[in-house]
Amino acid sequence: MAIAAIEAEELTRVYGSLRAVDGVSFTVEPGEIFGFLGPNGAGKTTTVRMLTTILTPTDGTARIFGHDIRRDSYGARLQFGVVPEESNVYLELSAWQNLLFSARLYRIPSHDARLRAERLLQLFGLWGRHQEKVQVFSRGMRRKVAIAMSLIHEPRLLFLDEPTSGLDVQSTRAIHELIRHLNQQGTTVFLTTHRMEEAQSLCTRIAIINRGRLATVDTPTKLRRTLQQLQAVEVQIDGLTKAEEEALQALPTVVRALRRGSALRLYTPEPVETIRELLRYADENGKKIAALETLQPSLEEVFLYLTEGIEGVTVGEQAVPQAAKLGSERGGKR
Amino acid sequence: MKVQQTLARLRRELAIALAIAAKDVQVYYLAPPMIMFGLLLPFFMFFSFSVRRGLAPAESVARLLAITTFFTASSAGPVILPMERRTRTFERMLVAPVALISVLAGEAAVGMVFGAGVSILTLLLATIFLGVRSVSPVALIAAVLLASAAFSALGLLFASWPTSSATPVGSIMMPATLVRWPLMFVSGVFVPLEQMSQPLRAISYLSPLTYAQDLFDHLVMGRGLQPAALNWAALVAFLVIFIAATIWFHRVQRQRGY
Repeated sequence: MAIAAIEAEELTRVYGSLRAVDGVSFTVEPGEIFGFLGPNGAGKTTTVRMLTTILTPTDGTARIFGHDIRRDSYGARLQFGVVPEESNVYLELSAWQNLLFSARLYRIPSHDARLRAERLLQLFGLWGRHQEKVQVFSRGMRRKVAIAMSLIHEPRLLFLDEPTSGLDVQSTRAIHELIRHLNQQGTTVFLTTHRMEEAQSLCTRIAIINRGRLATVDTPTKLRRTLQQLQAVEVQIDGLTKAEEEALQALPTVVRALRRGSALRLYTPEPVETIRELLRYADENGKKIAALETLQPSLEEVFLYLTEGIEGVTVGEQAVPQAAKLGSERGGKR
Repeated sequence: MKVQQTLARLRRELAIALAIAAKDVQVYYLAPPMIMFGLLLPFFMFFSFSVRRGLAPAESVARLLAITTFFTASSAGPVILPMERRTRTFERMLVAPVALISVLAGEAAVGMVFGAGVSILTLLLATIFLGVRSVSPVALIAAVLLASAAFSALGLLFASWPTSSATPVGSIMMPATLVRWPLMFVSGVFVPLEQMSQPLRAISYLSPLTYAQDLFDHLVMGRGLQPAALNWAALVAFLVIFIAATIWFHRVQRQRGY
């Protein structure tokens, strides 16, 4: 059996009374694009900083291709490259100089370093401007330089912290293509993001973290099923009685309902069909729809659903049963 | 076998430290704070306090050397480290397979070369235009290098004070200047040690600049207040203490998070 790319065991980081990362355990297999998904402040970056040895864990540990980050940080660091959220490149140096400096940090012989730097800059579409100072580059180009610098020593594992944050659509697409390409070449990728669609389009498995705790580690397909259950249509109908609310809750595609002020939120895996049913109901009963909108779940809602289910969802007097938890991996060891 | 491995590791660490120093020279030598605090300020201070005091050329040169090694070398750390932390390029070095001491040695080398370079240039100009001759030129250059290394490490120590977030250059440089400025007055640079009161003189022995100034007096003027060997030893001791304290600060910082 191949050695895991990452084996995190009860990783914990405490700042005063705040448990920024709370007993997080997971395994990343070689060759995966592993998504670490969570809202801002969830503990993603703190986890990456511990895994990359910048920050000492308060408790727990991790192994990078078998090298313990606490006992053998030197060996662990040889295995990975890191691209933080902010492109950490030297603006005063050219792309070429940045890459050669990175190569010197890893003691790559000069001839090899030049070959690799040229190959990477060509791959990233920067070769034509490799002698220009990075300060004249766009944000997307700087991100590419940062990624290239992290790949110069040909690491087996690449940490990407919010790689497309602040980038335009075109640059985002280019970075996504690069990530896929690198993965096809055999690089394991650990990607943190707060964007569900990014994680779903790129990753082979996704971990969801919030408030320092891991809710689940699952495939995008299974996660999509969960998300479908959390889609909702919010409707506001003038003069709706309790009986009518119950009737709406009984619509065929509605799985549960929640009153939000004067609006009624109807959870449904098929929002388009639910809207049709609502329009038909209003038409047949002479009701006027004041407002109607579809809602995608926030990461916070997904996390709550995965960890606690959604409780107390009621329409009138009737309580909607608590949502079933998914039978997926939860924060524990694999 | 073990010795060979150790030597290979040492060569590797040294090469990386040199690569860091070379990069810093490219990136930071012309940075405005380096020019301001490292180059202009020492000369401004020297001329402010020395003009019209009727100093002999050799005495002026010994004082100027003390000021340039001290101020120039100790300015590099408070400029480079905050800038590296703010742009998070420092983390690029921390995640590389290199010991923390090598990263810090690379950063300290920049201040040392900057301080020594400016001081040796000053010395050359003094030799050419003022006819000042050292009693031992080789020892004087070695003293300039040692003092610059110690003061560069002091600058790095200022810049390494653990903080919860990256701080701007000014937030490091101002307190550093507030500490360095009084040190100049208690170290025999402007007021000779023999003219100081006893309490002030006792304080002066806590300052690394005292030993550098006295060593330069020995090597430029041929006389000093205390034995030259004591000055050499004290500067080496300060260098070791500053580096050890800097490493300790970074260990604390790594516990807290960069």
